[in-house]
This record gives sequence, C-alpha cells and structure tokens, in this order.
Amino acid sequence: MNEDSLVPVLDVTNFSVDYGYGDDAVRAVSDVSFSLGRSQVLGVAGESGSGKSTLVYGLTRLLRAPGVITSGEVTLHLAGERNGEAFNVLTASEDELRQVRWSQVSIVMQSALNALNPLRRVGKEFDEVLRRHDRTSSKTARQERAIELLALVGLAADRLQRFPHELSGGQRQRVMIAMALALRPELVIMDEPTTALDVVTQREIVSELYELRQKLGFAMIFITHDLSLLVELADEIMVMYAGEIVERAPAVELHGAPRHPYTLGLMNSFPPLQGDRVRMTGIPGSPPNLKSPPGGCAFHPRCPSAHDRCRTQAPPLVAIEDGHRSVACWLHDSSSTEVVPVSLSRRAASRIGQGA
Amino acid sequence: MMEQVTRGDIVLEARGLSREFAGRNESGLFRKKRRVRAVDDVSITLRAGEVLAIVGESGSGKSVLARMLARIVVPTEGELLLRGELIALRERRTAAYAGEVQLVLQDPFASANPVRRVRHSLERPLLIHGTPKEDVVVRAREVLASVALTPQDEYLDRYPHELSGGQLQRVNIARGLSVNPKVLLADEPISMLDVSVRLGVLNLLRELCDTRLLAMMYITHDIASARYIADESAVMYAGQVVERARGTRVMDAPIHPYTQLLVDSVPNPEKLSKQSSPTAHNVDSTHFNYEGCRFSPRCPQVMDICRGNQPPEVDLGDGHMARCWLSASDAQRTAVKILAK
Repeated sequence: MNEDSLVPVLDVTNFSVDYGYGDDAVRAVSDVSFSLGRSQVLGVAGESGSGKSTLVYGLTRLLRAPGVITSGEVTLHLAGERNGEAFNVLTASEDELRQVRWSQVSIVMQSALNALNPLRRVGKEFDEVLRRHDRTSSKTARQERAIELLALVGLAADRLQRFPHELSGGQRQRVMIAMALALRPELVIMDEPTTALDVVTQREIVSELYELRQKLGFAMIFITHDLSLLVELADEIMVMYAGEIVERAPAVELHGAPRHPYTLGLMNSFPPLQGDRVRMTGIPGSPPNLKSPPGGCAFHPRCPSAHDRCRTQAPPLVAIEDGHRSVACWLHDSSSTEVVPVSLSRRAASRIGQGA
Repeated sequence: MMEQVTRGDIVLEARGLSREFAGRNESGLFRKKRRVRAVDDVSITLRAGEVLAIVGESGSGKSVLARMLARIVVPTEGELLLRGELIALRERRTAAYAGEVQLVLQDPFASANPVRRVRHSLERPLLIHGTPKEDVVVRAREVLASVALTPQDEYLDRYPHELSGGQLQRVNIARGLSVNPKVLLADEPISMLDVSVRLGVLNLLRELCDTRLLAMMYITHDIASARYIADESAVMYAGQVVERARGTRVMDAPIHPYTQLLVDSVPNPEKLSKQSSPTAHNVDSTHFNYEGCRFSPRCPQVMDICRGNQPPEVDLGDGHMARCWLSASDAQRTAVKILAK
C-alpha cells in the first residue's frame, strides 16, 4: 500500500437503493458505506440479485426507473484541473454530472455488444467521446489519441475502421476499456467485464488491466461473481448478499481466512483445479427473494452457524481485528457466546477446497 | 426390454462425427460459399455410470456435438451407435431414441414453458412416451423426489417464474429423467445458475449418474467443474478433440499446448502471480487454420510442421490422447515428410 491509497477518490455513506415505491418497494441495496483510495482496486463479489450492479449504477446516477436512491451520500474527490474538489454526486445536476462522467469516472459494462452502436465504426465512437470533452481538439489529434488508446489495450490501429460486429468478444471489451480510459479518469468501474468471455481471453484482459492500473494509476471498482478472480486482481474485497455488505477485507486475508459463513460458502462453491477430489457442498438453499427477505440476518436460512439471535436481529457491519477488516455476523460479536467454527475463527488458515 | 446394465458398459458411441455449416460468402454474390466445420471427426464413448466431460470455449463445437448425439442436428459424416446398434442417421429420429437419449440445456428459463405449471412440463413427456395416465402422477412425483424437490406438492403447481434458477434447472433435469433415459446430455447445465447453487446441481448430476447408471455427457467451459465431476475429460478446440484422458490427467498433467493455456488461464488464488501469465499469440479467435493444426496460429510452441499438416491423434498410454505434433513419434513426422515429397 502506498501513500496515494490514503487519498480518497470516492466516499459512500449509508447508501440505499429501492426498486419501486411505497409498499411495493424492494430494497436492492441497503445502507452501504465504504471509501476507496487513489489507485486502489476494490472488488465487489456477490451473486445475481445481491445488489452489486445496482450499487454502482446508483453511485454513478445511471440507475433507471423504477430504481430510486432512498438515502445516502456519495462524494467523488475530483482530480486533474478540478483537483481537490469534493463533488456531491447525488445532488449534482445532469449538466454537472456530464462534466464528471468519462473525465473523472467511467464505467465498463458486461456486454460490450450492447454498449457499442452497431451502425458506427469504432473510430467514430472514440472521436465523439474525445470531442465532447474538448471541442477545440483537431480531428487528427483525436485520431492519434484513439490509436494510442487502442495500442494501450493491445489492438492495432486498423480496428478503428471496423464495426462492432467485426470484432471478437474480447476485442470489443478491449475497445470498451480503451474508451473508458480515454479521458484519464481517476476511477474506472468495471461491471462483470469478463463474464461473457472465454477464460483465456479473460486472463489476457485481467493481466492487461493490472498493467494499465500500474501504469496509469486509476482506482478501480471491479464487480464479479467470481471470487477467485478478485483475489488475484483486487486490493480489497467487499462481499455482498441480499443488498448488504456482509464482509470487507484485504483480498489475501479474505481468501486465506474468511470470517463470514457466506464468504466461506462462496469460496467452497468453486471446485479447485488441484489437490484430491473431495465432495464439496456449496451453499444449501437459494438466494433470498428480496420481496420478502427473511427476518434477522438475510443469510440465516442457509447458514450452518445460524442461532436464535440471527433469526430475529440483523447483524450490523462492524470492524474486527484492529479495524482493518469488517464483517456483519453475530458470531464475531463480542457479546456472543456462540462457538466460532474453526474455519471462520482467527486461527484459521483455511484454504479453498478444504471444506467447512 | 429392460436389459441388465453394468457400470462401464458402452451405451452410446460416436465414430468420426462431423458437421459442416454453410458459412458466410467470400464477399460477392456468386462466390463460393465457405464451409465451416463446426465439429470435425469426433469419436467419443459414453459409458453407463460414468460422466464424460467435454470442455471447450464458445465456438469449439461442443454444443453441436451434443445436438448431434441427441439427433437434433444431422451429422454430415460419421456414425452413431446406441448399445452397439448402428443408428440410421438419415432417417427421422424415433420417439424410442428420444426416450433413451435426453438433453438438458443451459438456460432453465428458456427451456421451460412460462405459461405452464411444473406439473405439465413433467407429465407431458411421460404421456408422449406412452406411460399409462394413472401412472403419470406417481411418476412425476418420483422424479421430483429424485432431484431433491420435496415436498413435491409445493413444486407441481408452480409456474417457472415462481422458482429460482437452481430449482428450475432441477425441474428440467427431472423432466429429462422422467422417461427413464439411458443417456443424459447436459449442455452447460450450471453456467446460468447462481454460483452458490451450482455445486448442488453438479452433485445431483453425479448422484443420478451413479444411482441410475446413466451414461452422462457434461458439457462445460469451466475446466475446474469438469475436474470435479468427470470420469473422463475431453478438451475441444475448433471442432476437434485435442486432448482426452481418464480421471484428472487432462487438468493435472496437460500435454496439448491449448489445454495448458486453458488450465493456466483459470483464476487460481492458490498460485498467486499477478504478472501477465501464459502468452498465447493474440489472434482473432474466429480465425482458425484449417490446413494444419487448428491451434497453430495461437500456439506458443508452434513448429513448421504444424502449419501445413493436421496433427495425428497421439496415444500417450492409459487412454491419454493428444492431437499434437509435439507429442508425435518420429515415425509419424517422417510419414508427413515422405507424403510431402
């Protein structure tokens, strides 16, 4: 960790998002707080419906109706020309937002095919992004910059003449990443950028992202359901379940010794590529229906360590172990008399594959 | 009619199965159509009580292979044998064949009729395959129990949208099992499911295979899940099986450069190395070499011989096969040189 990581890029406090209004409202993101330092990579892991995408769409004000931000505060600490300015995302006008998008924060979505206009050549898309933010630039300067950006992600300059359908899935996603970096943003949000790709392509893109981050120093929020991918890429990992953060810890620690039963279950849901073949169980049951979430801790119906308190009271996210990681689980509450399973205790050096 | 089946008996065998599709025109209205070989000379054997995993990326031809085995797609070449009997591939698929070979597809929501209750989806195949009406209800309850959806009454009258992805995939598997097939072809059965319920479905498939002595083909892009469930694994690339072995040898000691690349590419926190790992030549993956080895344009260890000559299937002992010139014997290499002269 370097000093840069102490300078915040993004601060989020008590952020909640509902889908729908009134009695029909479904809480998709519930009271999420976190902050992200400069050039840090924050991984967000969770299953479908855990609220991980809703969270970032909310943060960037890209949420569409019936999504409603019901509470919270989101502060973006700007850099570049507006260095040091604290930008309140939730109260900003559309015009103000437009100035910040791309140049300070950019987003890469899961499906590049849907994000690119099928009727436009790739070069045209680049040209528009660059022109919108600097109307005085010349056409050749913009083209040179586009070629430079493509080179950054390992694509040849001739791709600018191509239409999206002429590119492979990996190439399209590289184009999206290059575009996201076009205006040198401080924060890049990646929403499952490699989920639709083959593993070999995923590996190439992840190593490229890692190198780009080293070189350009942007901060990144990386969303995926693949926890093992995050362990390789992220500095810190946030695990979400039913719209809440259930655990947050430095990546290596989370992988080496998870504290929340859900994190452990998630890790044991991926069969390992080495070692003896042992029977694994995953997590029993299915993710909760957010229309009628279970009372107490949302994970209790599937949790092997659930006890009475879990059924009635929802555990808050609290800092544990000198405050460098946090978990929302009654097992780790100081007043708890429950026996913490070895696999979740402080002594644990559990590894993926050696079940709970 | 019920014959005694023992574990390891060959149930379904494919020999030299190929399928061509008409490709895009070489630009120009009257130019010759390009032919795309989606599956090229694949021979596999499905055995009772065993899982054969087919591992491949999108476009490798694994789904077309499954559809040929289910006789939904007619092969361009090759033979199919069900319990040693040659199937007349040019003729219409018979109901009897469909009753013995069932296919489970990737997307549980797309394969269930959204306006029909689970009961309907389970009973219909039974009626079609001649189960007497009075037995149908009992049988439907039986198969629901076998995929661990109990109490059955809770599920029979539900609509697909009332179930989670994992539950619905279990219904689809139950539907496949209801007619008591001998072969189950599962095409990416877990890739659309939530991560936390995937292992449950995978374990279910393995149990069904063991208890009913089903011959199962498990198609996946996830080589780690293949390692978990399979008795034998085959890796496909561009329509061909490039490596095959029993047990976990394909993952633990891969021989083919493509398999090695695949294994090295899987996110693996156990061997953390944040450097850029194995470098395949970054080639447009739609560009295959049809003359020589299909993988040669991307292969990090490519040799001259690979570019112009199809590699032979090299037997590495114990049923381990790799289709690669690197493993070929001197005799096999010389044979090519003589032919070239």
